[in-house]
Amino acid sequence: MTMSLAAAEIAGDFASLVEAQSHANLMACLQCGKCTSGCPVAAGTDIKPHAMVRSVQFGQRDDVLRSRMIWECTSCQTCATRCPQKVSVAALNDGLRRMSVRAKSPTKSAVPVFNNIFMNAVRKRGRMNEAGLMASFKLRTMRLFADMGKLPMMLLKGKLPLWQASAPGRGEREAMFKRAASAKGDKS
Amino acid sequence: MEGTAHDYQKSTVAVAKALGLQLPEIPGWTCCGSTSAHQTDPLLALALPAKNLIAAEGKTVAVGCAACYNRLKTANHEIASDPQTRKTVAGVVGKDYDGQTKILHLLEILARDIGTAKIAQAVKKPLKGLKLVTYYGCLLSRPPEVTKFDDPENPTLMDQVLEAAGATVLEWPHKTECCGAGYSITDVGIVKRLTREILAMAKAAGADCIATACPLCQLNLDLRQKDTEKASGEHFDLPVFYFTQLLGLAFGISRKDLGLRSLVVSPNRLLADRGISV
Repeated sequence: MTMSLAAAEIAGDFASLVEAQSHANLMACLQCGKCTSGCPVAAGTDIKPHAMVRSVQFGQRDDVLRSRMIWECTSCQTCATRCPQKVSVAALNDGLRRMSVRAKSPTKSAVPVFNNIFMNAVRKRGRMNEAGLMASFKLRTMRLFADMGKLPMMLLKGKLPLWQASAPGRGEREAMFKRAASAKGDKS
Repeated sequence: MEGTAHDYQKSTVAVAKALGLQLPEIPGWTCCGSTSAHQTDPLLALALPAKNLIAAEGKTVAVGCAACYNRLKTANHEIASDPQTRKTVAGVVGKDYDGQTKILHLLEILARDIGTAKIAQAVKKPLKGLKLVTYYGCLLSRPPEVTKFDDPENPTLMDQVLEAAGATVLEWPHKTECCGAGYSITDVGIVKRLTREILAMAKAAGADCIATACPLCQLNLDLRQKDTEKASGEHFDLPVFYFTQLLGLAFGISRKDLGLRSLVVSPNRLLADRGISV
């Protein structure tokens, strides 16, 4: 079967769009539930892996883009490894994360903020400065006191250097990021 | 590996030296993008690893961090299997890359290239009587068609290496159960629930300690062990080592050179009880 034709027939534009974004092979899903059985976060989340695939197939755009699951999936790849049909819910979730951020879907998760800080650091410094990363994150999420009790211990144990060198070639990195941003569509 | 995982770097360097293995760094290396890149930008998620692999100039790349390993291998897999992807990534990086540079995790180098016989020969103080479980985490062996590391459900490379060091490696079912990774910072409840399962199973298996091969797994199981104990009301008191630290102890390398003081759950009593101390 041609993938995009089946998706468009059943679910209209949304499923085709998601598949183009994620390359998850989502229309091959049999709903066997093996992904959900192996998923470490399935029990506590709102849309379980196999249900996520189904929701996308049925064009439930708002449900999936506003879900907790896309920000609770750990990308452990257990689903993709075990699926008998080679569907990757891990890849699906990555596609949905990007679409959710682009659509500015409401979420309570701090992950999008963290990703933003992380990628800025990669662009500017090329390497992590864990202390700086944590400071930025705490300020932007107002989680000022979480884990602060651990700070003295971490400093004593040498786990948190207050300064770490950047990688050379910032100009090159900035150019790379610009080129990635302007490249049309996704990676392929 | 210069920050919270600096003891992994220290112990890796020490073990490599003892085995006569040279590990020069890739010049001008940059962050591979890790989880944040593949969650936000699929093109950068391939371009960042590719840039590092290009700088390796065809030499085999040795990796300690499981996430970096997974991202580098994914870049190879995607670029080598799709000419269009190769072209698009080259456009972003500014240089062409063929996806063929060999990438090996330290465990692959130790178990397969150097071999357990050579490792056993270098052992001066076998870890006799030390009962441990090996915790691989998610990203070394999954997805198997990308990493081709070892069996995705029951890997044994770390088991082989630590058995060669004289340890008693116990069987247990949670070798590759997820620890929650980066959610340690953004959604710590997930990490507490997942690490509780791993720590409880390790204890149930009869382990004295856990051996890890991933900086974030080690952090979650060690730094956050007290947080997990508070949340679940259980008591684990399980030291969590990097496998390179345990190997280093067997080679007779000093605690200082192995960065043991960085471990949060103290291993001192356990090591003294087993007569393993330097």
